Amino acid sequence: MAFDLTDILLSILKIAIILGIWLNVTPIMVWVERRGSALIQDRPGPNRVGPLGLLQSFADALKFIMKEDIIPAKAHKWLYTLAPTFGLLPAITTIAVVPWGRSFTIPEMHLFGRTLFEGGRWFNPIVADVSAGILVIFALASLGVYGITIAGWASANKYAMFGAIRASAQMISYELSLTLAAVSVLLVAGSLRLTEVVAQQTNYYFVLFDFIKLPAWNVLSPAMWLSFIVFTVSAFAETNRLPFDFAEAEAELVAGYHTEYSSMKFALFFMAEYMAMATMSALITTLYLGGWDIPWYNEPATFLGFLLSFAAFLVKMGFLLFVFVWVRWTIPRLKYDILMRLGWKVFLPMAFINIVIVAAFIAARWI
Amino acid sequence: MEYAIFFVFAAIAVVFALLVVLHRNPVVGALSLVASFFALAVMYVLLEAPFLAALQIIVYAGAIMVLFLFVIMLLNLQHMAEPATRPVQQFLSYTSSAAFAIGLIYYLLKYAVFEALPSGFFAADARTVGIRMFEAYVFPFEMVSILLLAAIVGALTLSGRMTGSREKVPAPEQPGVEAR
Repeated sequence: MAFDLTDILLSILKIAIILGIWLNVTPIMVWVERRGSALIQDRPGPNRVGPLGLLQSFADALKFIMKEDIIPAKAHKWLYTLAPTFGLLPAITTIAVVPWGRSFTIPEMHLFGRTLFEGGRWFNPIVADVSAGILVIFALASLGVYGITIAGWASANKYAMFGAIRASAQMISYELSLTLAAVSVLLVAGSLRLTEVVAQQTNYYFVLFDFIKLPAWNVLSPAMWLSFIVFTVSAFAETNRLPFDFAEAEAELVAGYHTEYSSMKFALFFMAEYMAMATMSALITTLYLGGWDIPWYNEPATFLGFLLSFAAFLVKMGFLLFVFVWVRWTIPRLKYDILMRLGWKVFLPMAFINIVIVAAFIAARWI
Repeated sequence: MEYAIFFVFAAIAVVFALLVVLHRNPVVGALSLVASFFALAVMYVLLEAPFLAALQIIVYAGAIMVLFLFVIMLLNLQHMAEPATRPVQQFLSYTSSAAFAIGLIYYLLKYAVFEALPSGFFAADARTVGIRMFEAYVFPFEMVSILLLAAIVGALTLSGRMTGSREKVPAPEQPGVEAR
């Protein structure tokens, strides 16, 4: 692997961009969540701090920092402190293998007659384009369960423990459906690389009279509908969002695994939840909604094309994030046994059936 | 650069592996094993086999150790550390493990060949692994799946959820409630 200083700087720039977005997802989504729930429940919501209550999140963050950081006397001090970090780590790192724009050649840049940047370099807007691709996401996401389990155990609180046990059972169960649903997409793309998954979706399914074209987004293919449903629902379960938020189920378990947490440690769990939501939205976008592809438009391999595709990616992701909020305030919580039965007896067979369907479509050369 | 990463993560792997054995609290031990597996996955990445690294984390850290941790936590709700062992036990365990370690090091120094592997030796991407598994090694692969199926059926039978043994468990007697 040969790389020079410019490559390292570009990598740092990519990490800075994507991490900047991911860190800002939490305050923005908290605002969307609170205003959205208010909209759905026909009440004003937070509207005092800043225009439309936009600065509410900053006030909340300030409050988090000012609160006393309590460690229960019977807690396991080390693991109690470590658990929020464990929860946050997979949420931050998994985004590294998701492409977020069209790659382009960087033009030559001049400043006062000196060559600031020699051109001809290919800028691929993905932090790490590894061949294992989506497996890295599943690997790191499977570590997310540790954060919740350790938090519940180390708190020495029975409600926290119940929440942790529920969460780990649920996350292990739905991880299977999630992974198997993604297999269908990988079969069509023929690669584990998410860049190639997106590249395949920039084509068109059929072209009629040269202007009626159907984008080859996986969600538009009949072979993928089962897989799309399974993946999306499992994504809700993986991120512990309502209607599957048994880890915290406030009506039954006080606050579940983070009952004992306060101050910034609690805020870290909060951030982890929203970042995991953002990662899942980005993943659904990439696997099913064509990633950064703009339908019926051929993005040029220039900076403008990159910006447009990046915007398309963010719009799709933002819409899915809104769906997360929308569902939370619309659908009530299921019962725990129904959740497990749904995971093992409905979604898992559905994911398997979809793999067979997609394989048949590929064998018949329909895709 | 690669050497620096290698030695840092080798050190992490060794330290956490020692922690697994030496720490008194089994939950900390299990988590240390996870950290050790993670450092091991970094080794695979350095050998240019990110596929194996991902599988290492998914299978060991993501699946097996979660179940281990689950069981340990359920058995150990009070954050109990293991009680100290007796001196005789300590003596026996230390001497036996030291003998094993000396034997292992001797064997390694005598027979192991320290030679750089040709680059791309571990270039095992999903395609090659899949083709190998379903062509050259399809028989062992199917055998393993039958073994796992037998284990699942066995676990179901032992937990009494099979159709044959669905007799009702008698409800525990509650104090103050008359039997009808």
